[in-house]
Amino acid sequence: MTQFLDYAVPGVPFGCVFALMAVGLVLTYKASGVFNLAFGAQAFVSALAYVSLIQDDWPRWAAGVIAVVVIGPFVGVILDRLLFRRIRTASPLVKLVPSLGLLIALPQVALIIAGSEPDIPPPAIVGDAQRVYLHLGSVPISGLELSISACTVLVVGVLVVLFRFTPVGLEMRAVVESPRMTELAGVNAGRVSAFAWILSSMMAALAGVLLAPLYSQLDPQNFTVLLVWGIAGAVIGRFSSLPLALVGGLALGVAQQVVVGYMPAGVIANGLRPSLPFVVLLVFLPIARQRQLDDPLSACDPPSSAVERGTSGYRSASTLAADDGTVRSVGLWHQRLGGDAGDRHPGLLTRRPTATLAWAVGGLAVLSAVTWVPPDWLLTMNQGVAFAVVFLSLTLLTGMTGQISLCQATFAGLGGFVAGQLANHVGLPVVVGMLAGGLLAAGLGVLVALPTLRLAGLPLALATLAFALLADNILFPNSWIGNGAGGVTVPRPSAGPVSFAAAKPFFLLSLVVLAGASVVVKLVGDGTMGRYLAAVRGSELAASSVGVDVYRLRVLVFALSAALAGVGGALYGSLEGSLSPDGFSYQISAVLLVVVAIVGLRSIAGALVAGLVYATLQVAVTTLPSRFAGLVAVLFGLATLSYTRHPEGFLDFLGARTLEFVGRRRAARSATHSPTPGPGGTGGTGTAVTGAHAVPAGEGAG
Amino acid sequence: MSDDALLVASGITKRFGGILALDHVGIEVAPGEAVGIVGPNGAGKTTLFNCLFGLEVPDEGSVVFAGRRIDRQPVWKRSRLGIGRTFQRMELFEGMTVADHLLVAEQAASGTVRIWRDFLHRGGPTPAELHHVREVLDLLGLADLAGRPVDTLDLGHARLVELGRSMMGAPRLLMLDEPSSGLDADDTARLARILDQTRRSTGVAVVLVEHDLALVESTVDRLVVLNFGKVLATGGVGEVLADPEVRRAYLGITA
Repeated sequence: MTQFLDYAVPGVPFGCVFALMAVGLVLTYKASGVFNLAFGAQAFVSALAYVSLIQDDWPRWAAGVIAVVVIGPFVGVILDRLLFRRIRTASPLVKLVPSLGLLIALPQVALIIAGSEPDIPPPAIVGDAQRVYLHLGSVPISGLELSISACTVLVVGVLVVLFRFTPVGLEMRAVVESPRMTELAGVNAGRVSAFAWILSSMMAALAGVLLAPLYSQLDPQNFTVLLVWGIAGAVIGRFSSLPLALVGGLALGVAQQVVVGYMPAGVIANGLRPSLPFVVLLVFLPIARQRQLDDPLSACDPPSSAVERGTSGYRSASTLAADDGTVRSVGLWHQRLGGDAGDRHPGLLTRRPTATLAWAVGGLAVLSAVTWVPPDWLLTMNQGVAFAVVFLSLTLLTGMTGQISLCQATFAGLGGFVAGQLANHVGLPVVVGMLAGGLLAAGLGVLVALPTLRLAGLPLALATLAFALLADNILFPNSWIGNGAGGVTVPRPSAGPVSFAAAKPFFLLSLVVLAGASVVVKLVGDGTMGRYLAAVRGSELAASSVGVDVYRLRVLVFALSAALAGVGGALYGSLEGSLSPDGFSYQISAVLLVVVAIVGLRSIAGALVAGLVYATLQVAVTTLPSRFAGLVAVLFGLATLSYTRHPEGFLDFLGARTLEFVGRRRAARSATHSPTPGPGGTGGTGTAVTGAHAVPAGEGAG
Repeated sequence: MSDDALLVASGITKRFGGILALDHVGIEVAPGEAVGIVGPNGAGKTTLFNCLFGLEVPDEGSVVFAGRRIDRQPVWKRSRLGIGRTFQRMELFEGMTVADHLLVAEQAASGTVRIWRDFLHRGGPTPAELHHVREVLDLLGLADLAGRPVDTLDLGHARLVELGRSMMGAPRLLMLDEPSSGLDADDTARLARILDQTRRSTGVAVVLVEHDLALVESTVDRLVVLNFGKVLATGGVGEVLADPEVRRAYLGITA
């Protein structure tokens, strides 16, 4: 028993912070429908402000108050106003991408504003972090632990009073119970939501300030890891119960210390702690989902907003009733949203301007790459091609199916490691190794898909996030997979007399792989399976009611997507020569999803452009001086913000705009010509009708 | 239990917490027969439907379809065995066209594995499938709207699309959950006409949950009245509706 206490008591302060995070997450999730992954970034921002103020000789308590009461809520209100309020009824993807983007961008922006990274170790808000103030039984309690626990008790007390005895607390409880019902009762949910954001942000800030002393230096990554614990706590609270989330967070804090304490030291014990959230998520997510359905008014869901339709629009409107009375099938994968399926636009360039342009530019790039482009550019382009293969896996999974995966980088990494290990230890040709890597990734995909079968949307995304974390901590450090920090070398392939070791031949090989992956994605999208997938995305219930085996389809797509990611990762590894697990962490998965979502998840061209953008970003981050590297993050954040306006992706948005422009030009031309129906006007008017007609119903401009 | 019955459900019991939603309910449908289920709100009509179709697992009881126990089968398998269903709260594939709704249902009903054929670019619909889609479109009078995304349809047409989707793949039983809810008199009349035509041309059996008594009377052969999770009465339409107990429970008339 005393040994148990020895392990459990040090877990309490962790539990307190996890509990704060869990409560904050649940609060904003229920009040505004957004699961705020930027919570970790908010915690970092406040922690940074706190330490920076102390460095500027502010007293600790004042710095703490400013960071928690002023800066935290300020950031929260801005996020609510600018972003989250607009996406309350959007699809899970549209809700998730901005918060992921902010999770990455916000700390960088804060660092730029702060000017320089503080170089003092963060002190505790009250007392001396290291000094032992008292003993609980035989367990020494340090100032840090004491301050964390005391602050949490204080906050919980304030919360209880707020929720029990104030009008706004009552309203918030109602909103948390059922936002729709509350709104129908005449409560201004927007105001309540703003208040919930303020509260939640204060909790994020407090968590950040309290935990900062744990680390010798402030690093955004630490706060992201903590966030995952908060998520697990929120899941225990079934996304909806504040007390349960509180208890869940506390229990997790204690559990992680106890579990590690009783385990023998080594990789398993070290990996066990970070993978605990995964286990919790796996156990609790199915229950949580059930609870979500219990909202008494869930049947009266408001109609999906334009934002939502922007992403859910499917692209295989592939049957048309022809004039002769038969129904014919035409593969219209790129059917534009809102446009009448009967419209056929003349000419490739007017029908799909951006896609065509992308292909043309791509073709030119290939031509120049094999002729005159300098080697480092070629390398960047090749990296882009390799990443395009990984992005295609998301086009398939998220773009077509609407399933959100935050572990695609894990699959990519696995593919690369397998290819390298097989080549190094078994002597297998690298190309075969790439395929084997893809297959193994597919197998792992099935393993991930099976327990998460019944999950979709946000719960699935969180489960894949937890899995990525698990892989980062348990799989990749092993010498026979990712070999930890050492990484794995992946040779360039050669086939008999043909060697792909040189840059140009390897680039061509990469293009072939990309072409193969594109064909797979296109065939699936255009085929019957693509139609099934669109149906499942439209209504899972209806799809199974007509005989579609939804679960099998899900596993299949997940496996196929993982395979594509694995092949892409192997290609990238072979290009770079070596891979390290750092390049395939869960953060990378998040970045990948955000990048491809912003560029366009709904076309192959989108994946290609996203690959090139990502490769260019990498170059920019590594070669630019560090202050500009922060600017890249800012741009990234801005792009994320713009995503909520154009969830169809940058590429499709641009395409719609071009079509609009062409249509207007044609209309204008016909207007000037038509009053004088002379011989000069013959050519113009005929096309003008189709031109004006070609303008899609303005979905893109939304 | 008669041997030639298409659907035999017996002793279906379902509890939600402390609420007994269905209490040993039995229902039998002969091939080609149309059975109406009526009853006040909360009588357990939709719950019964969900138990028959596999969306809910009954606590007790068995469901036999065409001589097979199906109460442990998932929804998609029951569908492939030949049960089509519509939903009280419509479930359409948002964004997909009318024709694609029918095509998905037609292709899924056959249960053929398509993915390898998709990879070989041979997974597209067969001429026979497209022909059937066309037939149903004509039957529903939706041929002109075949290429329209369903989100742009009015409620009457949308209900027809859902009905058409449930009719694909030659089902032997249609389960229609309040198909006329939200429709006006004209749309309801059209629905009745289409149901009648379908039954005559395909011989499909129908189970109809409906509040519109005119539609019920014109469509069904037999009526089952549910009240508080129990079968209150069953028999011919006129006879059941004349039953004083039914009149009191459902129609609210004290005779």
